[in-house]
Amino acid sequence: MNVVDGVRGWFGELTRAERGVTGFVVVLAALLLVGLVTGGLAPTYFLYLVGLVGMYVLLSFGLNVQWGYTGLINFSVAAFFGIGAYGTALLTAGNSPVGADGWRLSLAGVELVWVSGARLYGLLPLTVLGLLLAVALAAAVAVAIGIPTLRLRADYLAIASLGLAEVVRLLFLNQRGVTNGSAGLRGLPGFFDGWPVLGTLPQTLPGVRVHELAVGLPGVFTTRLLGFTLGAPFWQALLNVALVLAMVTAVYAVLRRVHRSPWGRVLATIRSDEDLAEALGKDTYAFKMQSFVLGSVIMALAGVFYAHLNLFVSPGDLAPINTFYVWIAVILGGSGSNRGAIFGGFVVIAIREGTRFLGEVLPASFPVDLPLVTSTYATVVNNFASTRLLAVGVLIILVMRFRPQGVLPPQRELIWPSSVAASAGPGETNPRETIEEDAAAGAHGTDAGPDGEPDEPAVRNGGETDE
Amino acid sequence: MSVLEYLANGLVFSSIIVLSSIGLSLVYSIANFANFAHGDTMTVGAYTALVTFGFVGSLGAEVLGLPLGFFLALVVGVAVAAAVAVLTHKIVYEPLDVGSIGLLITSIGVAFVYRAIVQLGFGTGFLEFQIPLLRPIDALLPFGIRMTLHDVAIVASAVVLVAGLHALLQYTDLGRKMRATADNPSLARVSGIRTDRIEIWTWVIGAGLAGAGGVFLGLYSNISPRMGFNILLVVFAAVILGGIGSVYGAMAGGFLIGMINQLTPILPRLGQEIPFLPERFGIPIGIEYANAIAFLIMVAVLLVRPSGIAGEEAV
Repeated sequence: MNVVDGVRGWFGELTRAERGVTGFVVVLAALLLVGLVTGGLAPTYFLYLVGLVGMYVLLSFGLNVQWGYTGLINFSVAAFFGIGAYGTALLTAGNSPVGADGWRLSLAGVELVWVSGARLYGLLPLTVLGLLLAVALAAAVAVAIGIPTLRLRADYLAIASLGLAEVVRLLFLNQRGVTNGSAGLRGLPGFFDGWPVLGTLPQTLPGVRVHELAVGLPGVFTTRLLGFTLGAPFWQALLNVALVLAMVTAVYAVLRRVHRSPWGRVLATIRSDEDLAEALGKDTYAFKMQSFVLGSVIMALAGVFYAHLNLFVSPGDLAPINTFYVWIAVILGGSGSNRGAIFGGFVVIAIREGTRFLGEVLPASFPVDLPLVTSTYATVVNNFASTRLLAVGVLIILVMRFRPQGVLPPQRELIWPSSVAASAGPGETNPRETIEEDAAAGAHGTDAGPDGEPDEPAVRNGGETDE
Repeated sequence: MSVLEYLANGLVFSSIIVLSSIGLSLVYSIANFANFAHGDTMTVGAYTALVTFGFVGSLGAEVLGLPLGFFLALVVGVAVAAAVAVLTHKIVYEPLDVGSIGLLITSIGVAFVYRAIVQLGFGTGFLEFQIPLLRPIDALLPFGIRMTLHDVAIVASAVVLVAGLHALLQYTDLGRKMRATADNPSLARVSGIRTDRIEIWTWVIGAGLAGAGGVFLGLYSNISPRMGFNILLVVFAAVILGGIGSVYGAMAGGFLIGMINQLTPILPRLGQEIPFLPERFGIPIGIEYANAIAFLIMVAVLLVRPSGIAGEEAV
């Protein structure tokens, strides 16, 4: 009973939006579980999806630092993601024109660098070197883009960063001698290849055969459940999930600390009123640059993970649509909210993979013959790429119209528990009340339009910065 | 190809960029946000003209190598692009209360919706106006310029539209109200200008010019759902170069960016084309970087003059 009460108590404390999100996550998890049990969803593919969610969460964390904390409109997410992916792939891919296998650099008879197998000096795995290279490259490009654009007004940064991302994509596409051009880089190792123990773990773990079950009521129905083998690919996928979870956890821990540090508070000030931050004597340009670099490095980290998950990278990974997916994840989740970023990551994967899945599951033609409806239905179902684009567009418009502050605005994350304990005296605002008022006002805003938005001084509005 | 020919190509391409960038700048100056759906408005115009042209066909006499039916299709394309933009303004943008950045992000959603609908209706492939290709104009061949009557039609139409817009802005009541609204919306409102009406007129003119740009872009190369988005960044480069929100700046920026874009192929052999430079001088860069160059120029200009050529204080 204790557990039930605990859950009920926890659920009762949630805001309406949080309950909705919890419901969404529960339903999605149940659907996936059903898919797993009935054999419609292979366990390895399931883990691949989890890995992709983790990747979008990382990307959203990165954008949250820039847009959610500091108010920088960065439309070059895909570029930094691509720099991360290419950074590690150039070093480790089998067909990389500048691959590192067999590198020897010697000066005056002294060997400076040598690479054998998949390791540098026989010790450091190349994938780690690739990660470091990717991070360094991303930081350098972020500084290069930041210097001309961060001094400018917000919308200039949006356009300039989108353009510079396009320049980066064109470079990867056309510098064939370095990047292999549109053919992309293939034959990447898994991230842990060449590591002691972890590198060979998937092969050494035993395979597990899960037998097929036939269940049902005799004479009414029977159905087959389960029936799959968990072999090396499954353990490999599990290892990948462990990697992305480690990355997400580490980044989350850093961001949580950063968000509430004096540094993070300056960022929040810049976001809401840059002139005020200037007047307080802060070098806003330097703070923006640091935030821009930090966010870009996190995006590159997601790229590194993707490269070793997918084992293939191509210039298509730098397409602008990937940037907009991340923007949706952040805006939908709530700008500046890391819990929101996690939720957004789930929604993006649900859109990306769900439309693909619907295209296969739904009947190709409308069951009832109606003029116009039948043909429209067939067009929408049979062109899932366009349907997905439509869904993304409509979602952006609806979120900005009805919930510009996002589903999970960051107010709860901004309350530092120890400060609540210290300031519980009379006259102080009770943060819990603030949250509930805000939730009520937010729910009201959904019905009555954005005019009903709360104007709570204690709570940062996650939606917008005013000009 | 001779330098003169590249310049002629540049003139044609610039005409298209100028039309689109004026529209973008006009909408920016009054609705006050960077409209990312502008490129896809061009696509809407192009597809509408394509469908209309399919119905009216090679109607009537020929003007500048184009059947009159094409000009009818152009008008329909412009009208539909304007109507779609006004509807979008009424349904999507007007009820929003999210500031300029929120509008910018919303316009990305709008762009996706336009493009997805075009893709659902016409597929993702390339289409063309069913107009026979013309031979280059004989009179220009001795100068090394290969230019068809269609190219002349594009440039001439652009000149007419730009001159018309100039006249509208400078000599009509609507133009004066538009300039007043762009300059200071609150002051315009208290002076008795119905700024919401002016805003709708701005959408009509801005999106109409975008539609015309889209139709000409379709005539110049071909028609595909991504055509508008692909050129959007170049158009933005032109607008920023000119100074965002300034119509005359957008004309200058569009002209420059279009020219530079088409002149990229001579960069590797600059020494051979320009006197007083060493014969072997050149900038080794391929035409695949034409758009990238437009961007780098934009960023370089922003470094020196953050408000663009004709813009006001922007920082």
